[in-house]
Amino acid sequence: MKDSTDHTRSISSSLQRLFEDGALAIVVTLIEAPRNVGAKMIIEENGSHHGSFADATLDKAVIRQAPALLATKEETRTFYGREFAPELTEFSEAQFLFELIQPEQRVVICGAGHVGASLARFAALLGYRATLIDDRKEFVRREDFRETNIELVLAESWTEAVRATIGNGRGVAIAIVTRGHSEDEQCLRATVTSSIPDYVGLIGSKRRTRIVLERLRESGISSEQLAKVHAPIGLDIGAVTPEEVALAILAEIVSVRRGGSGGSLSHR
Amino acid sequence: MGTLPAADLYRQIEQANQRGERVVVATVARTRGSTPQQRGAKMLFFASGEAAGTVGGGCVEAEVWAEAREALRSGQSALHHFSLTAEEASEEGMVCGGTMDIFLDVWKPT
Repeated sequence: MKDSTDHTRSISSSLQRLFEDGALAIVVTLIEAPRNVGAKMIIEENGSHHGSFADATLDKAVIRQAPALLATKEETRTFYGREFAPELTEFSEAQFLFELIQPEQRVVICGAGHVGASLARFAALLGYRATLIDDRKEFVRREDFRETNIELVLAESWTEAVRATIGNGRGVAIAIVTRGHSEDEQCLRATVTSSIPDYVGLIGSKRRTRIVLERLRESGISSEQLAKVHAPIGLDIGAVTPEEVALAILAEIVSVRRGGSGGSLSHR
Repeated sequence: MGTLPAADLYRQIEQANQRGERVVVATVARTRGSTPQQRGAKMLFFASGEAAGTVGGGCVEAEVWAEAREALRSGQSALHHFSLTAEEASEEGMVCGGTMDIFLDVWKPT
């Protein structure tokens, strides 16, 4: 029998590839058992799998169980063997860690003014990868952003920069906070006409954002495409300063991602 | 130390393994009571003595750190049980109590 650690090298490069592709998958690790602790299997969304627990019947049971985690949206669960493979008595007390591999969480920010720059820093602090886009070179200088998980993009065209940054939209939250309404409109149009991200937010007053949305609708963009747009952007926390506005935006991004209500816990 | 993005985590494991070094990945597998971190939280321990990510701040980290150093040496992956009683927590001035099962996984260079 092959020792489990023989697989780890290929597993870590496979995991990296899954992140690069923005794929969904489950990685299962045997964490308690008489032997083979640390052995892993990866089960991808399309059903393909690799790695093994050195027992064909057990492997099959694990593959059967994996979609249950995908369905619950939970990121991590630990199961005893008896919970999903009661017929395999020798593994009934063994424990298996099921972990969801999902696209890297990214926050794309159009506009590197005070709000945008603060938002990039907050997002980086939360462990999200931030991309800060502006068409003014002096606003996206590396020496002003030391965080390694903030990517800086100097846009020649907002449309092209937004499309290139969003990619397939999976795991992406986009905050449109440029200095002007015309730039905001270009960014929003580019966003809703490509792969729509998990979250889209547009800054501005209620009146102003309504005008922008109306103009897009008149130009032929469907209500369905615009339905996902949070406008005005952010949770109502009474934000006044640019930093507070950035916090309100990030709070909304987190609440959409995690399914929170956005209210006070003391009022629940 | 903050939360480690998952993609970064596997990148760092791969890089350490390519340098010929072992890495220990600590993952919170189960929690009971008022624990400082939720299931799935991860922390990396490198042969150099450096670490990244967190499994729960001061409450259990010192103990996890000690077990991780042992795992780096022995190369044995195992599930560990950590408990913190309310008394210990209040002595340390921290608001946590409860138990955590943390899996220490040794990723070895091939």
